[in-house]
Amino acid sequence: MKKWMSKNHKIGILMTVALTFVVVCLGVRLARNDPDEAETYHLIFIPKTIDPANGFWTALIDGAKLGAEEMGAEIEVMGAGAEEDVEEQIEIIRQSMEKEPDALLVAPGDYSEVSDVLQEVVDAGIPLILLDSVIDRDIAVSEIGTDNYRAGKELGEYAATLIDGEGEIGIVSHVKGSSTAMERSNGICDGMGEASHQIRSIVYCNSSYEKAYELTKDMLNRYPQISLLVATNEYGAIGAARAVNDLGLAGKVKMVGFDSSVEEIQLLEMGVFQAIIIQKPVNMGYLGVEQAIHVLNGKKAEPKLDSGSKLITKENLYEDENQRLLYPFSGQ
Amino acid sequence: MKKPNLITRMFGKFKSIQSTMLVSFSALMVLAMLVFMVIAMRYTSGTIYENSINYMSQIIQQVNYDIDTYIEYMENISSVIAKSSDVPRYLFDQNQTEAEREAEKERILTQFQTIMESRDDIYNVAAVAKNGRYIINQGDDELTGYVDIESLDWYQAAMESKSGIAVSSSHVQNAIQSSYKWVITLSRALVNNQTGEREGLFFVDLNYSAISDLCNNNSIEEKGYIFVLDAEGNIVYHPKQQLMYGGLKTENIDAIMECREDSLIIDEGGDSKLYTMSKSKRTGWTVVGAAYTSELLKNNEQAQMWYLLVASILLLAVIGISSIISREITKPIRSLRDSMRKVQNGQFGTHVEVITENEIGSLGRSFNLMTSEIQALMEQNVYEQKQKRKSELKALQAQINPHFLYNTLDSIIWMSEAGENDEVVEMTSALARLLRQSISNDKEEVELEKEIEYVKNYLTIQKMRYKDKLEFFIYVDPRVAHVPIIKLVLQPLVENAIYHGIKYKETKGNLKIYARPVDGRVEIVVADDGIGMDEDVMEHIFDEHRKEQKRNGVGVPNVQKRLKLQYGSEYGIRYESVKGAGTKAVITIPVDGGRTDEKMDE
Repeated sequence: MKKWMSKNHKIGILMTVALTFVVVCLGVRLARNDPDEAETYHLIFIPKTIDPANGFWTALIDGAKLGAEEMGAEIEVMGAGAEEDVEEQIEIIRQSMEKEPDALLVAPGDYSEVSDVLQEVVDAGIPLILLDSVIDRDIAVSEIGTDNYRAGKELGEYAATLIDGEGEIGIVSHVKGSSTAMERSNGICDGMGEASHQIRSIVYCNSSYEKAYELTKDMLNRYPQISLLVATNEYGAIGAARAVNDLGLAGKVKMVGFDSSVEEIQLLEMGVFQAIIIQKPVNMGYLGVEQAIHVLNGKKAEPKLDSGSKLITKENLYEDENQRLLYPFSGQ
Repeated sequence: MKKPNLITRMFGKFKSIQSTMLVSFSALMVLAMLVFMVIAMRYTSGTIYENSINYMSQIIQQVNYDIDTYIEYMENISSVIAKSSDVPRYLFDQNQTEAEREAEKERILTQFQTIMESRDDIYNVAAVAKNGRYIINQGDDELTGYVDIESLDWYQAAMESKSGIAVSSSHVQNAIQSSYKWVITLSRALVNNQTGEREGLFFVDLNYSAISDLCNNNSIEEKGYIFVLDAEGNIVYHPKQQLMYGGLKTENIDAIMECREDSLIIDEGGDSKLYTMSKSKRTGWTVVGAAYTSELLKNNEQAQMWYLLVASILLLAVIGISSIISREITKPIRSLRDSMRKVQNGQFGTHVEVITENEIGSLGRSFNLMTSEIQALMEQNVYEQKQKRKSELKALQAQINPHFLYNTLDSIIWMSEAGENDEVVEMTSALARLLRQSISNDKEEVELEKEIEYVKNYLTIQKMRYKDKLEFFIYVDPRVAHVPIIKLVLQPLVENAIYHGIKYKETKGNLKIYARPVDGRVEIVVADDGIGMDEDVMEHIFDEHRKEQKRNGVGVPNVQKRLKLQYGSEYGIRYESVKGAGTKAVITIPVDGGRTDEKMDE
């Protein structure tokens, strides 16, 4: 009897304790205003340049910001003033490490020069996501960018249709040693096939309109046989186009190029360019942030992600789909 | 016997009324809470949906109205320009002089400037004519010339519409050289008064600041948003327009366009979205509000938690209170039970305090009545027992005399015939003392000294009767000389020792009587060296109905019974005997003579 009573009491006490526990749990949950609020991740994005005149990089930054906003993360953009200033980028990467971001998104300015500092980033335990370009080491958790070889090849194939067997080809590349420049050049050559033998000259403009302008002018003066110019990024394209215009060769020297800006589109409308291949920088930035958040949330990141590209000619320029790709909506 | 029904069986499982009450109260409370909560939650979640739809519809209609008002306002601005004679004259009048044209242009530009300065949501204000004339913004902007403006949707829409007014969807303004921005174009056909035909177009390019303000100012929950579709389902405005254009985000536009109702719920893998639509007659646009049901029901979740919390607290309170109540109710029952247990253990003096006037109170009263009755009966019983003992003693006193007296007197006669005068005197005086001692004092107890004295007198007589066959020795430790002992205890034992031990012995028999304290008790030993007893006899020595015991009425069993009655079961007579060697009877009594017991009896 006594034993039974104590057992009964035990059950009672247990029940009371359990109920009290439930009450406390519920109370605590209710007391906290937003129980589901996730941690806000702090990301740092270091593009090759934060030059506001550059449509590609501004769009990429916008995409990253949109992604961060969409996923509830904070993003800080730090970058060099000029794309070819690899030293400055290395310095900025070092500075960013001191801020201890949850993840670092970098568009490396050089294939090999920034590798050491990025290795330090990875060694410090910061997840590294590479945007646009890659480096000589496979240390990033995710690489998001245009499949530059494929884009180059598509552009090369189109360019090959613009030239007969006689003319020579000049290439205005951007930064020597950068992965994008190499991949695009390779793609272009492969896409041109037989015609690639007609490549006469390759210059590197170091992503400067002025330098591209000067180099193109020199090139066209030196090799008047050149009837096709291929530019591997926006700086090269605009600089070269300006040179072609100034030399009065618009339409005579065919041009194809990478990237887009209003000026470049207008040059396409004018017929200076026959085609441009555009990347999807907004998507690139957005996907980069998305992958970073995936990694931080413990999900598996895509090791390699193609953000896509599109060949735009005067004929398909005004199609809705292409208009949407050409003109970034953000920032309006 | 009736089989106990379910409820009785269920309650029978509990071993205390308190727990029965506690558990049933709690179970009832839980049941009540559950019913309440199910009803409340169902009701709440239903109303939340309904309220959300109503609330969203109101917002969406308001936004729709605001957009209509905004567009109407813009149309009014455009009509001011279009209806004024300046613009048509500038565009269509072929007969103007250069100076007149310049003046006209200035006037128009002033008007344009006024419009542009008054609003910051206008990118471009322009008027174009089929004849190639145009005037844009501040006059220095130009058409690009790469696109044929007349082939553009927004141009044709205004030209072909009945009212001559059209509002475009989102598009890039790539007709004007410096623009290339995403705009909504409000266009109005201009009629050439000379021909009466629509030969030109006035248009205003609106940026998204106004519409996005209208859509974003009215927030639907935290994650909810508002977007605008045109009649074909193209996006006019969406807060995530860039992501939509990049293909990074999708909206259920097809389902929304097909939906004939005002609201729509679409499952999106785990979460579902609630869409509320409102279509504008003026623009043909559909304003859509989107909200995540998970967010709408967040408050419901909160409410559910509150319900659960309140229910748990109430339940705790119920358990606490019902435990107190049930303890209070069962308190008299438990005290009754405890009292009964005491009575069960023999404490008949137990009394229950009756506090309540209910059934349990009357039960307690009955209990008290019963125990007091039992106690009275017990007391009476004890009294009667005592009386019985007293009369037994009296009978005993009366009984020993005749037989012994006769034998003694017989001895005295023989002795006087033989002329043994001294012996006659001794025996007679011993007999006299014996008789006096047995009748003089009607007290039940005497001092041990007196009892020994009595036995000594008896033995004196017996010794004389049996001549040299009996020798006795008495020793009393002075410490126990005054210990009280009930009367006539030793004499029967001594008598026994003589008649059953020594009498049958061939040689002289010795009897030793000694009293001494042992282990806090008093031991009085009567030891003989007679023939002894076998075990069979020993076993039956205290049997009352033994034949030979009846011989003189007072036997060892009688003494044993009286000792145990007086002093308790741990006291009494103990026999040790060796066949042929003698018998030893040991009487154990308490040192204080069982004073306390005696007092209780009195």
